[in-house]
Amino acid sequence: MSIEINIPPVLQALAGDVRQINVTGSTVGECLEELVKQYPRLKPRLFNQRGKLPNGINIFINGENAYPETLARRVKEGDKVHISYIVLGG
Amino acid sequence: MALNTGKILRVNLTSGKVNTETVPEKIAADFIGGRGYGIRYLYEELTPGIDPLGDKNKLLMLNGPLAGTMAQAVSRWMTCTRSPLTGAFARSVCGADFGAWMKFAGYEIIIIEGKADRPVYIHLTTEGCRILDAGEIWGKDTKETQGWLTQNHGKNTRTACIGPAGENLVKYAAVVSDRRTAGRCGTGAVMGSKNLKAVAITAQRKIQLADPEAYDKLAREQVATIRDNPGFLNHKEWGTTSTQDVTNAIGIYPVRNFRYGQLTDYEKIAGEEYRKLRVGDMGCYSCPARCGKVHTVKSGTYAGAHSEGPEYESIWAFTGPIESSSIEASIAADQLCDDLGLDTISTGGSIGFAYELYEKGLLKKSDTDGLELIYGKHEPMVALIKKIAHREGIGNLLAEGTMRAAASMDKGAELYAIHVKGMELPAYEPRGAKSQGYNYATASIGASHCYGYAAQDIFGSPEPHPTDRFSEENADVVIYNQDNTAWHECGVACAFSGGWGWMDLFGKMVAAARGIDKYTDNAYLAKVGERMFNLERAFNVREGFNRKQDTLPKRLLTEPLHTRKAPGEGQIVSHQDEFLDKYYRLRGWTKDGIPAPEKLKALGLDFALKDITKSRK
Repeated sequence: MSIEINIPPVLQALAGDVRQINVTGSTVGECLEELVKQYPRLKPRLFNQRGKLPNGINIFINGENAYPETLARRVKEGDKVHISYIVLGG
Repeated sequence: MALNTGKILRVNLTSGKVNTETVPEKIAADFIGGRGYGIRYLYEELTPGIDPLGDKNKLLMLNGPLAGTMAQAVSRWMTCTRSPLTGAFARSVCGADFGAWMKFAGYEIIIIEGKADRPVYIHLTTEGCRILDAGEIWGKDTKETQGWLTQNHGKNTRTACIGPAGENLVKYAAVVSDRRTAGRCGTGAVMGSKNLKAVAITAQRKIQLADPEAYDKLAREQVATIRDNPGFLNHKEWGTTSTQDVTNAIGIYPVRNFRYGQLTDYEKIAGEEYRKLRVGDMGCYSCPARCGKVHTVKSGTYAGAHSEGPEYESIWAFTGPIESSSIEASIAADQLCDDLGLDTISTGGSIGFAYELYEKGLLKKSDTDGLELIYGKHEPMVALIKKIAHREGIGNLLAEGTMRAAASMDKGAELYAIHVKGMELPAYEPRGAKSQGYNYATASIGASHCYGYAAQDIFGSPEPHPTDRFSEENADVVIYNQDNTAWHECGVACAFSGGWGWMDLFGKMVAAARGIDKYTDNAYLAKVGERMFNLERAFNVREGFNRKQDTLPKRLLTEPLHTRKAPGEGQIVSHQDEFLDKYYRLRGWTKDGIPAPEKLKALGLDFALKDITKSRK
């Protein structure tokens, strides 16, 4: 099952400047695990010590916010997942 | 359910007359409140071509329909006027408690007209409004002024005031409330031009809502939604004191007057470094985020400096433009600007402009009162802030803002004046975040990051669709951001709270507060945002603005960005004309950037047609 993951600008430097990548997985968590296998420097930015998403990271599936229980959310073939840093602005 | 459209307090400082009016239902239905009311009343009441610092200009203070209630992040308020910095429509948003206190006193709009013949302040209570002598506080800084007013009128008093910068008509003077500022556009200078030192409100909590029961349920739902939202939790922890970690990483932290996208020695100004000097936090009325992080400098040249802030923009304003990595100097500079009543962004931008002129030899030591404006040296920056507020020496030139200062020098300084419509650029490099840049170019008030913040470019937000941050083709995203911001500011909802998951409740809450059901339709809210933005454009067109002023600074169109180590090296803004063509087409404006008659009619803005027709001749 191929899922498209979009990496935000601030994290692209930790993923070889890649903006978009296809991974396999049936949940958001599985997809992100697959992503950090390929780009290990992303791991501390996407998972905290308890294996959860750290504060400040939002995940969108086809434009819909996946919060709460984000990592357990199911995904299907062709879904587009966006990792989004929380809007801090200022 | 009773209709609750809001009340207006009208104060004429020339005649001393004070009266109260009610907002008509039609205006409430079409414009909701806050910024919507601001542009609606300014458009109707201001004569085109008046001097922004003359007695014919009017200063509006506005809260929103939700202010003062238990709901969170909705008690912000704003000033609206014709800007002395840009000549265009001005709106400047502020926090603290003043917006709630306006509501407790019974008002959603205060319209200040005319000019007093001596320094005065307005004291408003639920019993009435008096215009009082301000002789004792004229010349005092904002902290002393607010302290004096609280001492004289009691602890249930909240104020909005100006400091010496506003009195001296610095073109980017701010209005200050507690330690928050309505910073942009120079609305503090308009207040100073009216000899008005402060507006003080003494009141106890009292709220009127059309449907209190329905509102109470919705407000509780809003609070519960926000409480666990990760965006809210992040904002509560950091405020905006770590945004530079993001912008520097992606090369959009403007350095040396918008030549570089990253700061040398960046790690010295990282969020964690500010965290070490944090001594507390402060918030606006009924907002548990308490995002104002308070810092105290413990040692060195600036020992004892203490400020609520700097937040991100001010961190940048006092590091990036002069390439300083002294967080201590930034805290001292932030405190000074709040005390003296200056917009930190335009102050930092004007100082960065002066440093580059000094580097290029266009300003010499004899021009700068002996100050050596050398990159990395922060002591001259702090000295310049005081000079600007008091218009002393070189400060008198810089107090005019970069556009006017460059024009008066006439030595080729225009290239180094980094502004849009006269307003200095904020802390996001347009060549590395082009939708953000084009928002600067087309925003009604000039270069504001808060008029249509491009979270898509900067944080990877996927709504309404993802963007390539180097692309110049996302006119639809710029419009989406601008119109959404407009209706949020009818609230007046905090800009940060837009990411806290509650905006779907906004329309229902406003409907329960006002007693006007049509607000519950999100498509209607979007139309209100578009209506507001178009009326602001009509206001500007009436003042002589058109396509010519919708431009980014020449440097960004002609010089490649140097990011140092981040992606985006060599980026330039190269398709501005094509962007504007597309933007105007999607807006329903002519190629000159003027709203077409059909568009105005479709938005119910028929009353603006005659002014637009005149401008097109």
